[in-house]
This record gives sequence, C-alpha cells and structure tokens, in this order.
Amino acid sequence: MTMQAPVPAAAGEPGRLAITISGLVKHYGSHRALGGIDLEVRRGERIVICGPSGSGKSTLIRCINALERHDGGSIVVNGIRLTADEGTVQDIRQEVGMVFQHFNLFPHLTAIENCMLAPQLNRGLTKARAEKLAMHYLERVHLTDQARKYPSRLSGGQQQRVAIARALCMEPRILLFDEPTSALDPEMVNEVLGVMEELAASGVTMLCVTHEMGFARRVADRCVFMDHGEIVESGDAASFFEAPESQRLRDFLAQILR
Amino acid sequence: MNGLPIDPALAWGSLPALFDGLKVTVILTALPLLLGLALAFPICFARMSSRRWLALLAEAFVTFFRGAPLLILLYLVYYGLGQIEALREGPFWILFGSPFGCAIVALSLNHAAYMVEVLRGSLLAVPHGIVEASEALGITRRNIFIWVKMPLAIRYGLKAYQNEVVSFIKGTAIVSVVTITDLTAVANSIFEQTYDPFTPILCAAAFYWALVNLIRIGFGLWGRWLNRHNAEGVAADVLVPGRAAALRRTSDLGQVTP
Amino acid sequence: MTNLSLAELAGYMRQLGEGALVTLELFLTSFALAFAFGVLIGIATLSRSRIVHAVWRVYASIFMGVPSLLVIFLTFYGGSAMLGAVLGEFGARIDISPFAAGVIAFTVVYAAYIAELVRGAIENLPKGQFEGARALAIPPAIMWGKVILPQVMRLALPGLVNVWSFMLKETPLVSLAGLQDLVAAAKIAAGATKEPFIFFVATALVFIAFSALSFRLAGRLETRLDRGLRREATGHPPARATA
Repeated sequence: MTMQAPVPAAAGEPGRLAITISGLVKHYGSHRALGGIDLEVRRGERIVICGPSGSGKSTLIRCINALERHDGGSIVVNGIRLTADEGTVQDIRQEVGMVFQHFNLFPHLTAIENCMLAPQLNRGLTKARAEKLAMHYLERVHLTDQARKYPSRLSGGQQQRVAIARALCMEPRILLFDEPTSALDPEMVNEVLGVMEELAASGVTMLCVTHEMGFARRVADRCVFMDHGEIVESGDAASFFEAPESQRLRDFLAQILR
Repeated sequence: MNGLPIDPALAWGSLPALFDGLKVTVILTALPLLLGLALAFPICFARMSSRRWLALLAEAFVTFFRGAPLLILLYLVYYGLGQIEALREGPFWILFGSPFGCAIVALSLNHAAYMVEVLRGSLLAVPHGIVEASEALGITRRNIFIWVKMPLAIRYGLKAYQNEVVSFIKGTAIVSVVTITDLTAVANSIFEQTYDPFTPILCAAAFYWALVNLIRIGFGLWGRWLNRHNAEGVAADVLVPGRAAALRRTSDLGQVTP
Repeated sequence: MTNLSLAELAGYMRQLGEGALVTLELFLTSFALAFAFGVLIGIATLSRSRIVHAVWRVYASIFMGVPSLLVIFLTFYGGSAMLGAVLGEFGARIDISPFAAGVIAFTVVYAAYIAELVRGAIENLPKGQFEGARALAIPPAIMWGKVILPQVMRLALPGLVNVWSFMLKETPLVSLAGLQDLVAAAKIAAGATKEPFIFFVATALVFIAFSALSFRLAGRLETRLDRGLRREATGHPPARATA
C-alpha cells in the first residue's frame, strides 16, 4: 500500500541525515540573500526557523526544493545532491513537500482534486486510487466533509489544511512550511497549528519558517535564528527561548513576544 | 417606399440564398478560428521565449498581422503572393491559387496574431504562486502547462477570446472582394438584381446579429460552467477585475520575502 | 521593381499620398463624431428612464452585432432613400457620397462602443464624486465638465485607444463603397504596375506606423492625465474636505 503516514525516521538508520546544507550562497542581483549557510537536518527532526523579514529564512527553504536556484555551496537531500539538472530537481521535489504562506491551491479544482492531481500525474495513479489516497490525507487534516468543495468556498484555515493534505499526498519524507499561518485570520491559526503538531508527532522531518513561538516551544527539536542571510544562533527550544546568547536574538524575541 | 423599408416577399424569397451565404460565412469563420488558434500557440511560446531573436521574430509577426487592416492582408495574399514564382510553381498553389484558400490564409494569420496576445495575457495572469506550488509538488513543466496553467488561462482569457471571436466573425464580411459568396456577397448580389437597398442588407445583418449573439450566449454558458468554482452569482464580466487583482497578487508573491 | 520607371513611381506615390490623406480625413472625422456622440449617449444612458434604457440596449446590440461593412453599404445604398423618407422629395435628391456613408456608418457604430466605455467608466467612479459636487451645489454642467468627465476620460483611455486602433483598421472598408482612399490607390497601383506585393506591404506598414505613433501619443497622454490626477489628489481634496 502506498497509503501510509509520511515515512517515519527510519529506525534502522538513526544517524542518517535528511538534509545537508553547506556554504549555501544566494544572490538577488547585488543583494546577498544567503551568505554561506551550514545546516544539517537529521531524519525526523523538527526545526523551526525564525528571524526578521528579509533575513533569508524563506529563501533558505525555497532553495531546498529548488524553487530558488542557489549560487554557491551545496544542498544534499536524502542523499541526492541538488544540481541544475531537471531530473535531479524532480527527484528531490518528490521527496520534499511544501506548504506556502498563501496556500496556492488550484482554484479550478475541488479540495480532493487538489490532492489528487500530483499523485495522478507523477505516479500514474488511477483516479480511484488517487481518490482513496487523497481522502486518507484529508481525513488526517480533518476535512473529509469539505472534500468536494472548491477552495473559494473554504475558510483560510481550511484552505491551508487542504494545502497540507495536498503536500502529504505525495508522501514526502520532508515537509517545508513557509510561514503557513501568517496569512490567516487569528481565529484560524490554531486549527492549522494543531494539524502541524499532529504531523510532527508522526515523525516526519519538518522545516518550518514561522513566528509562532508557542508552536516552536511545543514542537521544535531545534530552533534556528537567521538575520541578514546568516544563521546567528541555533539550539534546542528551551535554551533558545530561555537563554538566548546573541543580542540580536534577544532583541528579536523581545519584539515578537512583547 | 411604403413606410416599411423591408419587402417581405423579397426577404422570404431570398432566404435560401442567404442561408447558403451564411454557410460559407460559418465555414470561413470556423476554419481560421481553428487554424489561427493552432498557429497562435507556437508563436506565443516564441514570443515568451527567453531567446531574444525568437521573441523578436514572434513580436514582428504579431505587429504586422495585427496592425495591418484585414482587407489589405486579403489583397496581399490574393494578389501579392501570386507574384512569387516559387509559390506559383510549388505544391501550395492549390491553396493560394483559389480565393477560398487565400481568404483562409489571410484570416488565419490575422486571427493567430490576435490570439497570441490573448494567450500571452491569459498565461501571464496565472498567479505565480500557483505555478510554484505545482513545481513544489514535483509536477513536470509540461504537465503544469496542461493541467494548471492552461485551465486557469482559459478562465482569465475567456472574455478577451469572446471579443476576438465576435469581431473576427464580423471581419469575415470582406471576403466578397475576392469573389467568395459569403453572407455579405449574397446580400450585395440581391441588391444589384433588385435595387432594393434595405431588404437584402437588413436580412443579412439579422443573420450576422443572430450568429454573433448565439456565440455570445455560448461563451456565456461556457464561462458560467468554467467558473462554477467561484461563489454563486459571479458573472463572467467580473473576470476582468478578478484578473487584475490576480496580477497584483502575483507581483506581491513574485518578490520573495526572505 | 523591374519595370517601374522613376517617374511612374513618383506618380503612384502621389496617388498613394492623396489616398492616405482621404483615409486620414475619414478616420479623424469619424472618430471625432463617434467620440462626441458616444460621450453624449453614454451620459444619456445613465438616465433612470426605462425607455431610454431599452432604446440604448437595442441600439448597442444591433450595431455591436453587425459587421461595419454592412452598415456602410446600408448608408451608401440606402442613404438617399432614408433621407427621402425624412426630408421628402428634396432629401431624396441628395446623393450620399462614399465618404459621407463611411463617416455616418462609423459614427453610428463606434459611438455605441464609446458610449459603452463611458458608461462603464462613470459607473466605476466613486459615488462620493457626485455627492461631493452636489453637496457643494456645483451646477450640473460644471460638475460634468470639470469634475466627472476628466476622470471618466482617464478611466476610459485604454478602451478608447483600443477603439481608435480598431476603427483605424476598419477605414479601408469604405473603399469597397468606392471611396478613393489609400487602399484603393494601392490597389490601382498594384494592378497597373503588376507589383501588388510591394504596394500592399507598404500600405500595411503605413497603417502599422500610424498605429504605433498613436499608441505612443496615447501613452504620453495617459501619464499626463495621471500626473494631473496626482497633483489634484495632493492639492484640492484636503481643501475640499475642510470646506
């Protein structure tokens, strides 16, 4: 059966890395967005990345699935080294799911069709099997009753949960979240965070750009603080929040937790 | 004149001839619509290509065949191409040697040039974030075009396409100058036989009016079906502001906020 | 250009030039009239009267659903008869020239399009513009001339540019009613010299060049109107708000 929870950190190979980033550099014209990032992500690890806007955190995770092409350094995802080669990029994208700030659902497809499209196209699943798969993951985000609705009829929180289910349907081993709750009305943030916490408990590798510090405390194995395209500080959630080392992180936390 | 400008007996008697003319007009509309659309796709891709010479070539095509009045295009194909020795000797002379073939060629080129711009505008209106989401799901570029970009582009461009088809049908009225007996030519010849300036032309006008409005109704239904995913009561005309809004949203998303 | 002497060529060029002037005259006259009537009709359709509305709907539907060529033929062949019906014996003796038929036909057809644009632009204006003017007891004529229409023109400009270039490309149709315009001259020259390719391509390029020129002017006009709006936006409204 293809219908399984996203593969949990393989118990047999505990030390294996999901993502290895070293010396990652990215420029937009003359602006340096990323200036030599080094980051290792273990399988099953849950990492929260935060930082002021313009710090390069979105760029970093968008480089991992090649939505942005990096200019220097290397990215290795599940043992595949990311190159400009179209086939390699496709391989990596099969391993990595992504959830966006603005959901980016296909407006012309129903919730369930949104989930079915990629499995049908990429894996050649029949309609019936894709539907079963989609229903399975819509259930995980508690949306089976909205499956036949178009995105325009769903609330923001529901749309974002459909987007999560859509990413899960490709059964990726790694999930990237790019500020998944910042475009939501406050009362809808929790339903999305709830689903993400359930996912975290299932053991999937997660990289999450977010300012939801409560979520970070509850879920993150490690928090990473970025500023000006560099990783300033990283550590486990407890020390990150209770005893920040750098002044920059202290300032940032003071602003955000005010 | 007996007050009423239409002679009912003449109108009734002319019906069979007018219907024959209508048939020619419909064929002269349908064929170039198909050929022009088929031609528009590759030219549109060339127009949007990153290869400068290709884009310039496509732009020159569009500028010429859109900017030149249809009547001149028709004269050019009908009288001008016969000058070219190679063409006169070659196998295509079956096409260019007949008025009908010339009309089809001129009309198709003209329609193709307009459709390049309609297509391009509609494709550019597809929000970038949605394309990115498809890429992140690992869907190949070809499949993204077929299953995501085109379905959305059709929705954004439907109104522009309808306008083009309607004005194209009206434009076909000139083919009588190369001895094709379309609806206008039939009306003209009845006028020349009877010297009744109103009845034949008004009857032909009524035929055109009916054809145009049939097309409008058809597009209206098509648009309503395509937009079933939008909230109820959203008329097709709302699509244009919708597209502008989508465009604005795209440009916001295009700027990555790292 | 094998068998074309320089003198002959000059002769044809003169004819083409004269034809181009006729085309330009026809185009500008028709556009000016269509614009004037279009604006008036557009404003008139805002009336709440059902009859006005029904008449507008019928008029717009007919002339937006019928080829311009038929309207030209109708005015050209049927114009005298129509004048006869309206003006009696005297009218029937007036012959409608191809030029007049073209101007009448284009005016009637394109006034409908321009009216539609103006209607749409007025409906897109913020309601506050009317209310503000009324609250200040500005007379209607001044309200329309100084407050509403300038803004309407700015909103309608892209559509007007479209109508402009579309109408330009339809002007050659009048040559089919016998007008000696640019296209007719090109056709004569093409037939006489047996060089149709060159003459028709050149004619097409004249139209394209004229379009390009007018697009550039329209672009400049647009920035100018926008600038005016911006100046107004920073200057007057606060003063009005306190007034």
